[in-house]
Amino acid sequence: MASPVRSKSMATVRVKRFNPDSDAKPYMQEFQVPNLQGTTLLDALHRIKHEQDGSLTFRRSCRHAICGSCAMNVNGRNILVCKTPLQGQLDRKGVVTIKPLPYLPIIKDLVVDRSTFWNEYLRVKPWLVPPATSPEREFRMSPEEVAALHNAETCIMCGACYSACQVVALNKKYIGPHALLKSFLRVLDPRDTIPGERLAEVGTDEGVFRCHTIFNCIDACPKNLNPTQAIETLRRLAQKRTAFEAARVERQRTIAGPLAAEPTPAAEGGVRHVP
Amino acid sequence: MYRSTGFVSFVLRRLTGIALVLYLIAHIWVIGSVNGGTELFNSRLAAVQTPIFKLAEVALLAAVVYHAFDGVRLLIVHYFDVTEYRKSLFYAAFVVSAILTIAGGLPILLFAFQG
Amino acid sequence: MRVFQIQRISAIALLVFLTIHMTVVHYPPFHIDFGRIIDRMGQPLWKAIDIAFLFFVLLHAISGSYAVLIDLGGVARMKRTLAASAILLAIVGFVYGTLTILAFQPPV
Repeated sequence: MASPVRSKSMATVRVKRFNPDSDAKPYMQEFQVPNLQGTTLLDALHRIKHEQDGSLTFRRSCRHAICGSCAMNVNGRNILVCKTPLQGQLDRKGVVTIKPLPYLPIIKDLVVDRSTFWNEYLRVKPWLVPPATSPEREFRMSPEEVAALHNAETCIMCGACYSACQVVALNKKYIGPHALLKSFLRVLDPRDTIPGERLAEVGTDEGVFRCHTIFNCIDACPKNLNPTQAIETLRRLAQKRTAFEAARVERQRTIAGPLAAEPTPAAEGGVRHVP
Repeated sequence: MYRSTGFVSFVLRRLTGIALVLYLIAHIWVIGSVNGGTELFNSRLAAVQTPIFKLAEVALLAAVVYHAFDGVRLLIVHYFDVTEYRKSLFYAAFVVSAILTIAGGLPILLFAFQG
Repeated sequence: MRVFQIQRISAIALLVFLTIHMTVVHYPPFHIDFGRIIDRMGQPLWKAIDIAFLFFVLLHAISGSYAVLIDLGGVARMKRTLAASAILLAIVGFVYGTLTILAFQPPV
């Protein structure tokens, strides 16, 4: 809850600092910044860096919640600091605690090593694998399919879910909620030709079956996405992989074939669009 | 540590699970004594029915019931799309197991301390 | 996937068996000895129910322990050894448990 202007004119920002060249282990440092309405946490961090300690290190780029650089752990929650007002995060004493994303190795101050995050992402082949020859007509999808995929598509790869996940904390070989959500997006895309291969990759005990349904990924996501639901869906599909793959082949064959072979619009629930 | 109801349920699920495996080993050891004859069986079974063990039995009941209803919760999440109700489901599992533990634990304690 | 499926199926079976076990064996909670349970355990049907119960309990306990252990990154590397010993343990437990259940005979 963002509160109106407080009596306190200054806010205390506690930041976890770590410089691998000089520090044996991380420590907390406090800074005072003006407590103004409209100031975001990122503004506060910038103010500290520009006016008080130029060595403070953190990642940021677009400052409007689309680049996915500035995910940090604020008061125990993983959030994007660029879209979070400072005043909403202050406790009764006017203090906010900013730490790097948990469970990941710290490179310096608020910057963490996200290599496992990206490696697991590449492991699920996050790109679309379309048919070799593009069909004459368009791939049509039901509104429900579009809605499900649109949701997963808006992921900005900030790492908030990945680093909130305790399964990741225990075992870095776990694929992780971000990559499983992406896999969900590709598996359910009617244009994709390798859903079976994808389900085989994620349907293991390093993939969807390692998830312990802790729901931290949902709580952490700054875009209100639902990786847990994607994982549960992939679990169901992985258990009927062959049938799912056959249905996809059939669907694509129908689209590539003559017009008469296509299901009637009523059966698909969509509007017929003659090419 | 990233704290949430989901994390609490995960830790409790693991702890009760491990405790129940340890109990299972003890249970097999006690009941297995029937292979050594009725006398041994009765004496070993009597040893684990003292008031202290009765108290532990209530804890065992709590662990079993919580583990079971946490599992039911996970089955519900798996088969129905209800992730948005995750907090309510967690508290529901907790309340149901608390009620069943009291309902089952009271007779155990009444019997143990009144005979 | 297999561990997940085993856990789900045995969990549902256990919900049924454990309810039976709790209400029949432990309620009301009087003192239990050989004489009290032999009436029930002497019947072949109850022996069959208890053997099935034992089967699902072992399945759930051992695949559960396996899942707990391979969560740890270090142990996951030895998961083949772990799986083999888990299966072995399950067989030993099942044989011993079944012999125990069959040993419940009325004294001659």
